[in-house]
Amino acid sequence: MIVGRRDVPLDNDASARFLPWLIGFMVYLAALALAAAIAVSNLTERWDKGLSDQVTVQVPPDIESDGGQDARVQAVLEVLRGKVGVVRARPVEPARMRELLEPWLGSQAATGDLPLPSLIAVTVDRGDPPDLDALRAELREAAPGATLDDHQRTLGRLLEIAHSLQLLAMLVVALIAGAAVVTVVFVTRTGLAVHRQVIELLHLIGARDGYVASQFQRHALRLGLAGGVAGLALAAATLFGLSKVFESGGEAAVIPDLSLSPLQWAILGATPVAAALVAMLTARFTVLRTLARLS
Amino acid sequence: MVRFENVTFRYDAGPYVLRDLSFHLRPGSFHFVLGASGAGKSSLLQLMYLWQRPSGGAISLFGRDVGELSRQDKAVMRRRIGVVFQDFRLLDHLSALENVALPLRVAGRRNSSLDEHVVELLSWVGLGDHIHALPPTLSGGQQQRVAIARAVIARPSLLLADEPTGNVDDRLALRLLYLFEELNKMGTTVVIATHNEQLVERFPHPVIRLAGSDNMISGGTRRTAGAGR
Repeated sequence: MIVGRRDVPLDNDASARFLPWLIGFMVYLAALALAAAIAVSNLTERWDKGLSDQVTVQVPPDIESDGGQDARVQAVLEVLRGKVGVVRARPVEPARMRELLEPWLGSQAATGDLPLPSLIAVTVDRGDPPDLDALRAELREAAPGATLDDHQRTLGRLLEIAHSLQLLAMLVVALIAGAAVVTVVFVTRTGLAVHRQVIELLHLIGARDGYVASQFQRHALRLGLAGGVAGLALAAATLFGLSKVFESGGEAAVIPDLSLSPLQWAILGATPVAAALVAMLTARFTVLRTLARLS
Repeated sequence: MVRFENVTFRYDAGPYVLRDLSFHLRPGSFHFVLGASGAGKSSLLQLMYLWQRPSGGAISLFGRDVGELSRQDKAVMRRRIGVVFQDFRLLDHLSALENVALPLRVAGRRNSSLDEHVVELLSWVGLGDHIHALPPTLSGGQQQRVAIARAVIARPSLLLADEPTGNVDDRLALRLLYLFEELNKMGTTVVIATHNEQLVERFPHPVIRLAGSDNMISGGTRRTAGAGR
């Protein structure tokens, strides 16, 4: 019966109305930034895993003789198939190559008139890969002009961009957290000023600073949690919508996969809890620091 | 219990409100602080409940020099002091019951038997029918009784009351003073600041008479106050 309303009537403050909105908005942005970072991480992992055991051999077109290209490709395949550490070597079908090139070269690529290099997709044993430099020399001997691309340069560049994007996303999350802290500090200080007389009375009847701080921290925790859950719900809806849009667009190879694993959802789900805890600790620290200055 | 040694007090750089004040209130004693408006009665009580620091001299409470107390020590010491403020200082958003229970909550005493104790005390001060009323809905006298109940609920060792009879009629004023006497008989040291000399004369307790900033103690109506200067 006695423990009912709070001693410091913070629920009546304007902050009780606007703080959940602010925190909700911040959690929304933070969750999206975090999801972006996770999605990019998924993508880089996929690229890394997908290309780490793949190399491509390119045999330039022999424009001087008609049947010479097939013989050059066969010579290269023989070198590759006899090599320890090569699991599989498979020429890319000309039709498939034209299909891949059509977006860049137009329908002319599809006519077959354009001299195109032959590509051989090679899968290597990750545990025991062949010496690629030696292999390059052997391939050049078998078919002059043949090159071997282990994708490391392209992959390295892509990973660099992906890591930059991840860093950017984490920076956004850190900035949002900083903005949340500043907001809660401001709201708490306002609350301390508005309820100065109530706090004075609490001190007069023997309340320690921690007791006063507990009033503010519970308030901040509650508002932070309410706003955070709402923000996360909106973020989840946005991510779900985006994943549906991307799925229907058929760009899955390039656009990061937005379907998150249960663990990744759990990390996102912790965002409102983290926001509420940040709000609570900020409020507590602000009250204790402000009151300590009074002595 | 309470010892003042050559205590002077003024607000910031203003004129002295109290000057060279020395006395000793023994445990279980009952004192009135008498003086006209502006004589420094409230300031004296504020020094006693540790809300102000003396500008000079030394104050000790419960055997400890208050100048050496940390902020947290002061909080703990204030739990042994019940105060009836002149302006009541009730929390308008809390019911009479919650206001009275506040010192118990602050002290971390939360068992359910406290409810009964608080209700009993409110009934004893004549507010049994108003336990759930918010202070703004109560009369001045009723608010004053809630403030008194709050001051005594935690059985303080020292009870300070600033004009506790200012808003009630003579009959109720007497009743409240008898209540303070009852508490005093149970061992509580009581200090009551008032300007009502006629009321004070009806009780055989020593008086600390404040007569301006020069000479603070002028004896008592029946007996001199404490150890004097």
